[in-house]
Amino acid sequence: MPKAVTIFTTNTCGYCQMVKKYLSAKGIGYEEVNLDIYPHRQAEAISLSGAMTVPVTVVTKDDDSQEVIVGYNLAKLAPAVA
Amino acid sequence: MLALVDGRNVIPTIVLDNGTTLQEPSNAELTAALQLNDSKTKELTMTDQATTPTHDVIIVGAGPCALTAAIYTTREDIDTLLFERGVVGGLAAVTEKVDNYPGFADGIEGLTLAQNLQKQAERFGAVIELGEVTGLTDEGKFKRLDTTSGDMLARVVLLATGSDYKKIGVPGEDTYYARGVHYCATCDGAFYRGKTLAVIGGGNSAIQEAIFLTRFATHIDLLVRSTVKASDVLKQEIMKLVDAGKITIHLGVSIDEIAGENNEVTKVLATKSATAEKVEFPVDGVFVFVGLDPNSQFIKNTTIRRDEIGLVITDQNLQTSMPGVFAAGDIRSGATMQIASATGEGATAALKIREYLEGQSHPPQN
Repeated sequence: MPKAVTIFTTNTCGYCQMVKKYLSAKGIGYEEVNLDIYPHRQAEAISLSGAMTVPVTVVTKDDDSQEVIVGYNLAKLAPAVA
Repeated sequence: MLALVDGRNVIPTIVLDNGTTLQEPSNAELTAALQLNDSKTKELTMTDQATTPTHDVIIVGAGPCALTAAIYTTREDIDTLLFERGVVGGLAAVTEKVDNYPGFADGIEGLTLAQNLQKQAERFGAVIELGEVTGLTDEGKFKRLDTTSGDMLARVVLLATGSDYKKIGVPGEDTYYARGVHYCATCDGAFYRGKTLAVIGGGNSAIQEAIFLTRFATHIDLLVRSTVKASDVLKQEIMKLVDAGKITIHLGVSIDEIAGENNEVTKVLATKSATAEKVEFPVDGVFVFVGLDPNSQFIKNTTIRRDEIGLVITDQNLQTSMPGVFAAGDIRSGATMQIASATGEGATAALKIREYLEGQSHPPQN
């Protein structure tokens, strides 16, 4: 179980919903940063992911290391939050 | 890092300890590369059908066609499992607005339609597994599916994997993927507030998404290879934005390259078909909607017949050349690529599947 999970999303993004659904199904809590509500945090999402897309999921592990998952990529998301 | 991948800047790029480099791997490719499949478990399930999870119906995909089929099968108490590797709702879920689906007088957001279909299917007992089907084998009475959740058996399989947006295949398209080249306006449009865009394509999707992107972009160049082939309603809507100076439509334009500097897209290079004149469109980003590619790669090594572009060929019962395997929606050869058609085919497939399960003969037809 990760220490913390943050997801950068937008209102209309279907893949963002999938990340949230997956985490909820696994009982993993998360903080959501909706870029439609907080557009000033867009640069932070780009800096973390290197891409202009959402969802961006930041998984903070117990040792405070971070893994950044770009898009809805179950092959990366599942082991990252296991 | 760039040296490892020949300078190609693609996310995700995964470098394994053994030196293997994977760019945008599928779940199946990643599973194979990481050797996550337990061969002993697989061997056991191959020899002992009783230990393998078994369902009446496994639907591959969870778009509008698949969810509609699941509504019908589960209402008949037919045990139904759906596999979805991407977004539940398929391309409909990442479409900003669906205006031509019957019953919604003012249109409906694609994501809302997808969520409603999912709720309805789950209300009757459909189970959606988030994972990927990577192979399909005919074992007579049962079909064996290789999945990211292990082997599974089904009396009937419905292929409803639909399609994904097609790439144009020009230099720069992969280089700037997700850094200036995009295929999902509802996901990535918000990154272009106050910026300029090119939208490539002239069909319903391109026009619909170009209209949506004017929420963010100051100006959009719509680059169309031949002519606009969208519905009259969309044509009228986009002309209002053309008149307002938000969109400029360029017809007869063939894309040559998406170019940039410092990891950012700066322009689209193109050729005017009529005059062979080279033209440039300075933009901050590009959205591509030039048609659909069928998601049928996972059955390419089976006996299931596909047409020349990879769509699955079915008979009048929507059954494929593999008995007990049906196909419906955008994956089916002859499909009209409309959500309303897909849901209709989903319902038809479910009724044909019920007949098949009840023992009514459906000999495959050529």
